[in-house]
Amino acid sequence: MKLTRTLITASLVLLATACSSSSPTTSTDATPNEVTLLAYDAFTPQEGIFDAFTATTGAKVKIVTGGDSGTLVSTAILTAGTPEGDVLWGLDNTLLSRAQKAELLTSYEPVDYGDICVNYDKQWFTSHKIPTPSSLEDLVLPAYRGLLVTQDPVASSPGLGFLLGTIAHFGIDDWQDFWTSLKTNGVHIAPDWTTAYTIDFSGSSGKGKYPLVVSYGSSPPAEVLYAEKQIDTPPTAVIESTCFRQTEYVGALRGTRNPKLAAQLISYLLDVPFQESMPLSLFVFPINKKATLPNLFTKFATAPKNPLTLDPADIETNRDAWLNTWRDIIL
Amino acid sequence: MRKTKTLLITPVVFLSVFFVAPVANTVFRYFRFSEFSNVLSNESLSGVAWFSLWQAAISTLLTLVIALPATWALSRYTFRGSRVTRGILTAPFVLPAVVVAAGVLAITDSRGVIPILWAHVVFNVSVVIRIVSPRWSMVNLRLEHAAATLGARPTRTFASVVWPQISDAVISAATLVFIYCFTSFGVIAILGGISRRTLESEIFTQAVRLGNTETATALAVLQAIIIGAVFFITRRSSRPHSTSLHVSAPQPLHIKPNRRATPLIITATAVIIVASPLLATIYRSLVVNSQFSFSAWRLIFSGSLPALSVSPQSVIIASLVFAIATACICVPLALLVATASAPRALFSIPLAVSAATLGIGLIITFNTSPYAWRSERWFIPVIHAVIALPLVIRTLEPATHAIPASLRNASATLGASPFATWVQVELPLLKPALLRATGLSMAVSLGEFGATSFLSRSGSTTLPIAIAQLLGRPGVATQQAGFVLAALMVLVTVGVMSRA
Repeated sequence: MKLTRTLITASLVLLATACSSSSPTTSTDATPNEVTLLAYDAFTPQEGIFDAFTATTGAKVKIVTGGDSGTLVSTAILTAGTPEGDVLWGLDNTLLSRAQKAELLTSYEPVDYGDICVNYDKQWFTSHKIPTPSSLEDLVLPAYRGLLVTQDPVASSPGLGFLLGTIAHFGIDDWQDFWTSLKTNGVHIAPDWTTAYTIDFSGSSGKGKYPLVVSYGSSPPAEVLYAEKQIDTPPTAVIESTCFRQTEYVGALRGTRNPKLAAQLISYLLDVPFQESMPLSLFVFPINKKATLPNLFTKFATAPKNPLTLDPADIETNRDAWLNTWRDIIL
Repeated sequence: MRKTKTLLITPVVFLSVFFVAPVANTVFRYFRFSEFSNVLSNESLSGVAWFSLWQAAISTLLTLVIALPATWALSRYTFRGSRVTRGILTAPFVLPAVVVAAGVLAITDSRGVIPILWAHVVFNVSVVIRIVSPRWSMVNLRLEHAAATLGARPTRTFASVVWPQISDAVISAATLVFIYCFTSFGVIAILGGISRRTLESEIFTQAVRLGNTETATALAVLQAIIIGAVFFITRRSSRPHSTSLHVSAPQPLHIKPNRRATPLIITATAVIIVASPLLATIYRSLVVNSQFSFSAWRLIFSGSLPALSVSPQSVIIASLVFAIATACICVPLALLVATASAPRALFSIPLAVSAATLGIGLIITFNTSPYAWRSERWFIPVIHAVIALPLVIRTLEPATHAIPASLRNASATLGASPFATWVQVELPLLKPALLRATGLSMAVSLGEFGATSFLSRSGSTTLPIAIAQLLGRPGVATQQAGFVLAALMVLVTVGVMSRA
């Protein structure tokens, strides 16, 4: 019976360890010298970037992550008014109106921007001696048949961005024709960005079949920064005229217990030091004009002067109808 | 028998607080009959329901066809490599869907029904082995030998001697597999393309992507009704348990040299089907630009992850702490339920409820003090325990039921209290099943990516989250690192499962 006793003792000890390891978080709940930033999983700020904030305000920044931006905003809306944190990072122009309708935030401001653009595999086009496409219209030409992979706009935010870009470019009455032609021309729809970029796309790690992929204007510098062996130029590039602008917002959550700290944190996020840290940690462009860009970004990232855009209110009103129409065309 | 009822108080309270309350809250707040009838009359949504049903039925059949012979071989014979084989066949259960699906995709190079079925088989062979194997290894070999001596052919022996003793475990496993495939989410998201959707994936889409909580709730109710019907049907066809008088250990293979080849061939087939997507993962972690390279492995072992602000050690420790805590909560509760032989339907309810419904319920129920638990770190293993509970009960039940009443009676006659009997007679007999249950609850915790993905976390990135994060970013090195973590998960779980 020694064994039984050992087992019971062992499990009690383990349970106690598990509980004690979680107790620090329980006690910090209501302390005023902490401010909670609610963000999506991909929010990976530069290490130690909030130390300066803590030094000036005396408050620590606790980062709580809650899934991708869609999950984060949907779940935050379910409990609008009794928020889990003080500041929300993760709204973009496709979600902004939904948050406004639910009165999720008391105030919000744009914090960064980036573009969703068609990326291409440079080597593929060189070795096949085909010129790279230069516009959305090119994508339906026979020369580019079966070369493009994009994402399901229902499940994927770059997929939605690309669809919205085509609506912005062709207009609400003519975008359907473009997609019909795109389908005839063999566009491939991946379920999400990961599959499209890492498995289907030929220009990154997966070495797939498609040399054109819908991704971000900042994907080429990421290819250099996270290359397997050091490289000087990215293996991919961006078709500028296909870029749809995605602006991200940061806001104070309605019902926050620390409105003052929330406001301080928001201004810190908009201030130069944090803004300058964003390109290489979050792969987005700073909204603050005073922030200087790292070399890698000035050289290889794309943010066109006149990107495709749509009004957030229009997106919110029409999104479901557009998605249904899109499904009807593609399925 | 009154005594056994009191055993159920803790599990019932646990489930009521952490499962019934949040789910009821969601349904009360968001269920509308008008929306429900809209959903029923919507052609595209009923197509989704139909696809969910038929792919689940075929997935279950295929899983049984591949898993049952392997279960027989593994429960009846030990041979060189049989432990590792068991490890390989039972490991996929803990792997995140993204890993298995990416592995399948790397091989099939296409999406659609066949890759979906394959991925479902890879995931669920382990469910059948885990549930049926303990039962099958308890079938008394002497009875089979007696039947053979009396002239019964192997098929006849199986039908009249073996099947009656394992049928409830097989039906129980098949029910679970059906429900897992019916509510499949991660696999469908990656391998379904955009045209193949299950009710569960549609519930996520409606709730999370489109913000239509009412449509999502209506779909969740429809899904729960269908699953309830499946339980009802299988419960009626499941026969009463027969008690095996003798617990026979797996036979070393060399005892029957003339039949050595058959179990080996059978298990080898199952292993190829299950292991090839896993090997594809390991392959992707080692091959960069068609060249062999250990650089990503070296990077991870040097203690850093590209692009993420956490170390691989902290990711692994966070996952393990959650897994151990889940087992500590779940196994004792499941043991109470299994000992009290509670009506199974009651504790199977968590299986019928969509992960999204539970996830939404947790958020809207535990958001105000004094119940503002949704961001507490202990909350995640508690919810993992809720999700693992039905499965763990099913692992323990066949073993608790197989303990003959005569043993208990003998112990009582000799003057032992019921508790002493339980500790000294029953627990030692249950030890293998308890170890399996522990492994299983840890596995559920390691791989769970449904209800708790609605909960936010602070500083506790777990393996599935880290893998999804790494695979979700551009850059060869980040993706390599994601595949290394996935491969590590494969290797470690194969190792752990072959010991348990």
